[in-house]
Amino acid sequence: MSDLMTKSPAASGSANAGPGAGAPPPRRRRVDPTARGVWPFALPAVLVTAVLVLVPIAYTIWLSVSDRQSDGTNSGFLGFANYAEMFDNPQFWNSLKITLFLFVVCLLVETLLGLALGYVMSLDVPGRRIFQGMMLVPAITASVAVGLVWLLIMDPSLGAANQILAKVGIDPVVWLGDPDIAPWSIALVDIWQWTPFMALIISAGIRSLPEEPFEAAALDGASGWRTAWNIGLPLLRPVLTVAMLLRTVDLVRFFDTIYIMTQGGPVNSTNTLNVYGYNAGFVDHEPSYAAALQVALLVLVIMIAGGFTWFRQRASR
Amino acid sequence: MTKRLGGVYAAYLVFAIVFFGPVLFMLWSSLRNNVDITGSLFNIGSPLTLENFTNLFERFAFGRYIANSFIVAGGSTILGLVLGAPAAYVIVRRKLAALGFVTLLARMAPGVLFVLPLFVLSIRIGGPDSVALNYALLIVAHLIITLPLCIWLLVPFFEEIPISIEESTLIDGANAWQRFLRIALPLALPGLSVALTLSFIFSWNYFLFALALANERTLPLTVIAFNFIGQGSNDFGGLMAASTLISAPALLLTIFAQRWLVRGITGGAVK
Repeated sequence: MSDLMTKSPAASGSANAGPGAGAPPPRRRRVDPTARGVWPFALPAVLVTAVLVLVPIAYTIWLSVSDRQSDGTNSGFLGFANYAEMFDNPQFWNSLKITLFLFVVCLLVETLLGLALGYVMSLDVPGRRIFQGMMLVPAITASVAVGLVWLLIMDPSLGAANQILAKVGIDPVVWLGDPDIAPWSIALVDIWQWTPFMALIISAGIRSLPEEPFEAAALDGASGWRTAWNIGLPLLRPVLTVAMLLRTVDLVRFFDTIYIMTQGGPVNSTNTLNVYGYNAGFVDHEPSYAAALQVALLVLVIMIAGGFTWFRQRASR
Repeated sequence: MTKRLGGVYAAYLVFAIVFFGPVLFMLWSSLRNNVDITGSLFNIGSPLTLENFTNLFERFAFGRYIANSFIVAGGSTILGLVLGAPAAYVIVRRKLAALGFVTLLARMAPGVLFVLPLFVLSIRIGGPDSVALNYALLIVAHLIITLPLCIWLLVPFFEEIPISIEESTLIDGANAWQRFLRIALPLALPGLSVALTLSFIFSWNYFLFALALANERTLPLTVIAFNFIGQGSNDFGGLMAASTLISAPALLLTIFAQRWLVRGITGGAVK
């Protein structure tokens, strides 16, 4: 229980030096004797990562600038025709819009709700472990199971959601069949699945905060809200940004739950770049066009993650 | 004080209903018959039955799908640990932040990006027709998930080992491999448990690679459950029983290995 708090301060000093005050003075070039002769151990992992990650990326880039047919023949280099087709296709811009919509809505709600839940989870009361265990479940449940359960909950005629709404006198909602509502329903499922994950990280972050600043603020008679805003939040920022970065990367490449619940429909209203790219390759059998979409998605992930990291470094300076 | 406790428990109740309610709903529905599931949600006294589960095993080769999920998740987790533990050790001892960053990149790449090349490879080497090849392909594909995850999870645990312990063994003349195997690895045992647990769950849950690559005989639980919807099944009891089976490892580990799960999820973010 207390391992999170007692984790050695040395650990945070050695790797990327965060905003950590009181970091040890940098030792100059003393070769660590235990580091000698260890590097070959990393070789298998480096080779496997290179083959598994870099080769497929290189191959996808090649596909995107060539013309592979669904029968497996490839007539060779084509230039940027697939990209030109992509930029001309309104569906690409629609998918980009949906991807960004889900990213913004989900990240915002998950962060705010995660702060609230994380605060509740960090409090030391009897039964905390049991509650934490319950909150752990959505994040580690397979998306297929999550998708199936929510399909049943959101069923228009016999689903639990509409039954509950009927009890309080609200008309039934067509959760997944209406193009205007479906993106929000998908966002709702993602928020359900991942808010507790955010809260878990935030709660661990809160529990590892130093106590002195809060005691000082209490002595000065500052209110709870003011203390949280002026002292808690700034101290929590490094943890919060890592949690948000993890969610960002996953949200931009959001696939499983959407594919299980709507496959991109109705009328492409939940057709994110990721789903669009998969369908182009495996349903429409246009491998080269699909490859162009996937390269675009990778660029988007790197841009957003890179922007985030840049922002984080600037903020911590 | 009691007033504050009351507030906390009120918040517990609200959050539990919202975030744990749907899971309970799944478990409950897996034990009800179809008429009751599609009937009123508020009919709490409806009879419970194991029929949904027995049906799955009688009508479909569900034992086989479970075994397939175990083979792929287990295989990719063991490979991920075997390759990832030494790599994490090197990253810590030689302070190779760059290598750590590359593994982070591997975590960021969208899964869809890997499916097409893997699919082409699979066709070329006859993956769709051979069961053994298909298992191998799926395990290797899932290594894309487990290897970076294992490295990312293990690094903080190796960082905690004081160098002085290892330095003392230098006098005995132990070589690098012996130091790693006899000193560092046993001390990082909690980290190995964390990586094993989380990596197994993520591999077990992963859906996309098997969706595109698996053949009839290597289908894991996740894909077969998805195929049920495609067949227009309105056997909701069966679907919920399948969902419950898919979620079983995660639910069991929450009960028996909560500590490791929490450390794994928060480990990389909170130092």
